[in-house]
Amino acid sequence: MCGIAGFLDKTKEHSGLGRVLLDMLTALACRGPDSAGVALFGPSTNGHFVVKVKLGNHGESALRAERLSGLLKSIGAGAREFSTVAAYARFVVDGGIDLTNLIASIERSDGEMEVVSVGRNLEIVKQVGSPANLEQTYAIAQFCGTHGLGHTRLSTESRVDLSHSQPFWSHGRPDLAIVHNGHITNYHKLRRVYQQRGIRFYTENDSEVVAIYLSDQLGKGRTLEDSLHAMLRDLDGSFSCLVATATQFGFVKDPFALKPLLWAETDGFVAVANEEIAIRSALPGAYQVREAEVKEVRVWER
Amino acid sequence: MGEVNCDGRSTQEINAEIKQQIKQGATEILVRNPGARHNLGVAILEPVAIRLDGSVGYYCGGLIDGPNFEIAGSAGWGLAESMMNGQVVVRGNVGNGAAAAIRGGTVVVHQDAAARLGVSMKGGTVLVAGNCGYMAGFMGQKGTIIVCGDAGEAFADSMYETVCFVGGRITELGTDAVIEEPSTADAELLDSTLAKHLPPELRKSKPAGRNFKKVVSGRKLWNFDKREWKTWQEAL
Repeated sequence: MCGIAGFLDKTKEHSGLGRVLLDMLTALACRGPDSAGVALFGPSTNGHFVVKVKLGNHGESALRAERLSGLLKSIGAGAREFSTVAAYARFVVDGGIDLTNLIASIERSDGEMEVVSVGRNLEIVKQVGSPANLEQTYAIAQFCGTHGLGHTRLSTESRVDLSHSQPFWSHGRPDLAIVHNGHITNYHKLRRVYQQRGIRFYTENDSEVVAIYLSDQLGKGRTLEDSLHAMLRDLDGSFSCLVATATQFGFVKDPFALKPLLWAETDGFVAVANEEIAIRSALPGAYQVREAEVKEVRVWER
Repeated sequence: MGEVNCDGRSTQEINAEIKQQIKQGATEILVRNPGARHNLGVAILEPVAIRLDGSVGYYCGGLIDGPNFEIAGSAGWGLAESMMNGQVVVRGNVGNGAAAAIRGGTVVVHQDAAARLGVSMKGGTVLVAGNCGYMAGFMGQKGTIIVCGDAGEAFADSMYETVCFVGGRITELGTDAVIEEPSTADAELLDSTLAKHLPPELRKSKPAGRNFKKVVSGRKLWNFDKREWKTWQEAL
């Protein structure tokens, strides 16, 4: 199954993002007991990048954080605001930094460390367990921002760990995150094509290829809307998928309508989830919720 | 009128209370604050009127035989699935698989229906005032589907004896579906069904019965001999 949720705050307040996503995920917890995660798009960092690093799957986070901090100093990354919470380190670097080198340096230094997200606005937090556990560990309800995605995972094929949890960052393109409910049946074929081009896969989760695919499309100069339409042509299987960049938020639904996806839009927000109960429980009030059509693509600007 | 408030209660508790009130003789029950919960009002076998004052989640009114449901909001996947008899009216939209495998009764949707409306129907009537999505009527064996607006792709695919009527545009007919001229009796049936089930403000913008397209099975698939390759290939 898996639960997916997305929220775009159209007001100027931007105070409720974390709370809304948490409430939506709590309602979707029954769709995915294995892990929970959010991709949050916060206020601008004046062009700087926020980097989130997973400090390993098997403890020793404090030791790795110390090593990471030392590494960042030794390579002259100019990292500041370095902090750690549970399995993650977070720091800020200048917008002009060579991200490819930075990411490679971090991940080469320790096989268990993984850059989970990089963005001027984006921060991803995910972990094994329920949305309640995610809130307990990372206090996501406090997070303010313009838009975000959420996911609860029911693992059907690949491992249950932090890396295989969603949302997925595109690994390389700042501020691009996706959540996916479904099964990409031509995943192995696509994976082989991208691997032959030197793109690294971090997991065996088929949803990862969606992030890589969209990054590839955007890298070719396509708009997000065109990229989502292209997905309908190039990806086989079932997918209800939400995607967000620093300035846009959208969804695509597969050509066979095999997975649920509902959305609502008011003057104050856009909310998308694969069960109406998630939208209603997070956002009380009178508004219409409707099921997306087959092959429907929608994109909103922040 | 009996009343059940869903706030702070589980689906099991809500359904148990609905059934308890029916047992105690209630003939009308107002269900407040359904909050898009799943599986509300399933397997009710008495001719009771149940009104839900908001949206419902998956499988509302499934496996019912006789009750009259009215849903003020929208409904999720599998509305009234396998209903035997009764009526389910939804004032909003419905998700995938509404009225799937129903054997009797009537499902009325005031707005749009998503994919797979009325798949594998074995009887009954489905009336959608708006549009319907992908693959409506798939493998329908009996009964009637009426869509006042547009129909999506693969409409009426691989049907047996279900009869469909569409007031708007059909994006694409499914395999072995054919358009047939509606008869005078068909037009009368459509006019009377719409007049009976749609409120006047909805009815006035809908086409007259004679202007609906009738879609039936071409009967090349459902009773073919597997040795007749040519027939099969033509149907596909």
